[in-house]
Amino acid sequence: MSDFREYLSYRRDHLLEQTLEHAQLVLYAIATATVVSVLIAVLVYRRERVAAVALAAVGALFTVPSLALFALMIPIFGLGFRPAFIALTVYALLPILRNTIVGLRSVDSAVIESAQGMGMNRLRRLVKIELPLAWPVIITGMRVSTVMTVGIAAIAAYINGPGLGGDMLEGLARIGAPVALHMVLASILLVVALALLFDLVYLALGKLTTPKGIT
Amino acid sequence: MTAGATSNGDSRALIRLENLSKRFPGQKQNAIDNLSLDIPEGEIVILVGPSGSGKTTTLRMINRLIEPTSGRIFLEGEDVTSVNGDKLRRRMGYVIQQIGLFPHMTIETNIATVPRMLGWDTKRIRTRVRELLDLVGMDPEVYAKRYPKELSGGQRQRVGVARALAADPPVLLMDEPFSAIDPITRARLQNEFLQLQTKIRKTIVFVTHDIDEAIKMGDRIAILDESSHVAQYDTPSTILAAPANAFVEDFIGAGASLKRLNLTHVADVHLLDWPTMPVSAERDSVRAALLRSDKGSVLLVDDARRPQRWVNAMDLEHGSIPLAESGLEAPVMQRTATLYDALNEMLNSLQGATAVVDENGAFCGVIDIETVAAAIRKMREEARLVYRGEGGSPREPALAGAERGGDGDVRGGSDFGGAAPGGGDDFGAAAAGGGDA
Repeated sequence: MSDFREYLSYRRDHLLEQTLEHAQLVLYAIATATVVSVLIAVLVYRRERVAAVALAAVGALFTVPSLALFALMIPIFGLGFRPAFIALTVYALLPILRNTIVGLRSVDSAVIESAQGMGMNRLRRLVKIELPLAWPVIITGMRVSTVMTVGIAAIAAYINGPGLGGDMLEGLARIGAPVALHMVLASILLVVALALLFDLVYLALGKLTTPKGIT
Repeated sequence: MTAGATSNGDSRALIRLENLSKRFPGQKQNAIDNLSLDIPEGEIVILVGPSGSGKTTTLRMINRLIEPTSGRIFLEGEDVTSVNGDKLRRRMGYVIQQIGLFPHMTIETNIATVPRMLGWDTKRIRTRVRELLDLVGMDPEVYAKRYPKELSGGQRQRVGVARALAADPPVLLMDEPFSAIDPITRARLQNEFLQLQTKIRKTIVFVTHDIDEAIKMGDRIAILDESSHVAQYDTPSTILAAPANAFVEDFIGAGASLKRLNLTHVADVHLLDWPTMPVSAERDSVRAALLRSDKGSVLLVDDARRPQRWVNAMDLEHGSIPLAESGLEAPVMQRTATLYDALNEMLNSLQGATAVVDENGAFCGVIDIETVAAAIRKMREEARLVYRGEGGSPREPALAGAERGGDGDVRGGSDFGGAAPGGGDDFGAAAAGGGDA
C-alpha cells in the first residue's frame, strides 16, 4: 500500500497530465455532441416520425461496441486524438439528443401559444422560451453522457487516444512486472474520480443555470 | 345602445371579417363557413356558442394563428389577410385560458415581451411595466420581480392581461380568459376587467362558452351555431328580449329575466342615501345621527369612508361592546357589480340591503332589494316595448338568422308573452338557489 502511495507521488505530474488530457477529450466530445444533438433535436422534435428515425439512427450507433467503433475509426481518421474524439462524440449523442427532444416537447403548449400569439417568431420562441425551459432536461442528458464518456474514453487508448487509458493498457499488458498493477489501479481510480468530479460539477452547474422560476 | 346586428358597411368597424372560411386538412366540412362579422371600435364583442361552434378557431384566425382557407381580415381598414403574421400579432393583445406566462421569466420580463420585440428603450419599458401592474391592481414593488409560480391563478390572469396590453395594441383577443378560475375570483376579475375597459377602451373580441359571462361582459354578443354560422349578433338586452330563433332561445336557456339583472350595473341605478358615522365616533353622536334620520340603522365607516358595521338603536344600548364590534358586519358591493351580484349578496347575507363602494372602497350609497325589484319591473316594461315595436320587424332582416326569422318571430312572440310570469318564477327559483349558496 505504501508502495502505491510512493508510486502516486513519484508519477504525480504524469498522472495529472493524463487526467487533464482525459478530461479534455471528454469535454470536447460532450461540447460537440451537445451542439450536434441540440441542432438535430430542434430540426426534428415537432415531427413525430422524423424524430423517431433520428433517435433510432443515433441509438444504433450507440449500440456498436466501443472497441469495434474505435477500430472502425482507424481507416477513416487514423490514430490519435481525432478518431478518439469522434467516436466519443458519437456515443455521447444519444442521451443528449433524447433528452433535448423530450425537454423541448415537454414545454407547456399554452406557453408556446401565448408566445406565438404575441408575435414571437419561430427562432425567438426557440431561443427565448423553448430552449431555456428545456435546459434542465438537456443538462441531465449531458450529465449522463459525460459520466459514460469518461469510462469509454479509457478504451480510446487502443487507437492511441489521449488520457488515462494509456497507463491502463500498458499496465494490463505488463501485469506481473513491478509497477504494472500500480499503473492499472492508479488509472482506474483516476477515471472513477474524474467521473465523480464531473457529476458534482454538473449538479452545481444545473442548479446555477436553471432559471429561478422553474426550480 | 339599440339596434346593431351585422352592420355591414359600418365605418366604425375596427376589425372586419369578410367571408372567412377554414377547412382543416383531412376534413370534409368547413370548420368555419363563410363568416362575416364587424367588430366595432372600443366595444367588447363576445363570441359565444356550444363546443364545436368554432369560436376559438375564429378568434385564432383574427390574429392568424390559424390561417383562413378563404376570405379576408381587415384591421383598422387595412387588409391584413396576408401581411407578416408575427408583426400583425404584435398589434393585438392575446389572452388565453391557461394564461401561458413564461415560467422562467419574472413578471416584469413577461409583461415586457412585446415592447422588447418592438425595440423600446429600457427606461420606457420599465415605466410601462409599473404602470400596467398598477392598472391591473398589483403593486409593482411587490410583484415585478416575482415569478409566475409565486402568484395565485387570479393574479396570473391579471398579469396575462397586463402583458397583452403592454404595447398598447388597439385590439385585445381573449379566449375564455376567466374560465379556469374559481367562481368567486372569476366574478371579481370580470368586474375589474369591465372597470379597466372603461379606462382603456380597447376593441375586444372575447370567446366564452358561458352565456351568463357573455351577457355580463359583452357590448355585443355573436351567438355562433355550427361552423361559426352567426345565429344572432346583437346587444345582450336585445338578444334576451328577442332571441332570433329557436337555437338562440335554447342557448340562452331558462331564466332570461334573471339573466337580464346582469345587464344593469349597480352604478346605473339610484342608490339610497344612508346616515354614516365614523367608527371612532362617540356613542351619543351615533345615536343622535340615528334619531335624525328616517332609517333604522347607521353605517359606521373608517377614516377612508370604507363601510365597517351596521348598527341600530338596539346595538347602541349595549354599552359594554365597543362600537367597532357592535351590530352587523357590513358586506360591500363594487359599483361595477351587476344587480345580479347585488341580489345574490343580499340573499347570502340575509340583509335586505348592501353598501356600495367605489374603486377605492369608499362608501357611495346603499342598494336594497326594493331597488332591484324596481329595476326588474322597469326592464320588463322596456322589453315589452321592444317586443311591441317588433311588429313591423324593422330589425329582423338584419339578423343573421333571417331565413328562420319569420317563424322565429312568431315563436319569439308567444314565448315572450309567457316570459313575464316565467321571469317571476325564475326569480323565485334563483332566490332559493342563492339562499342555498
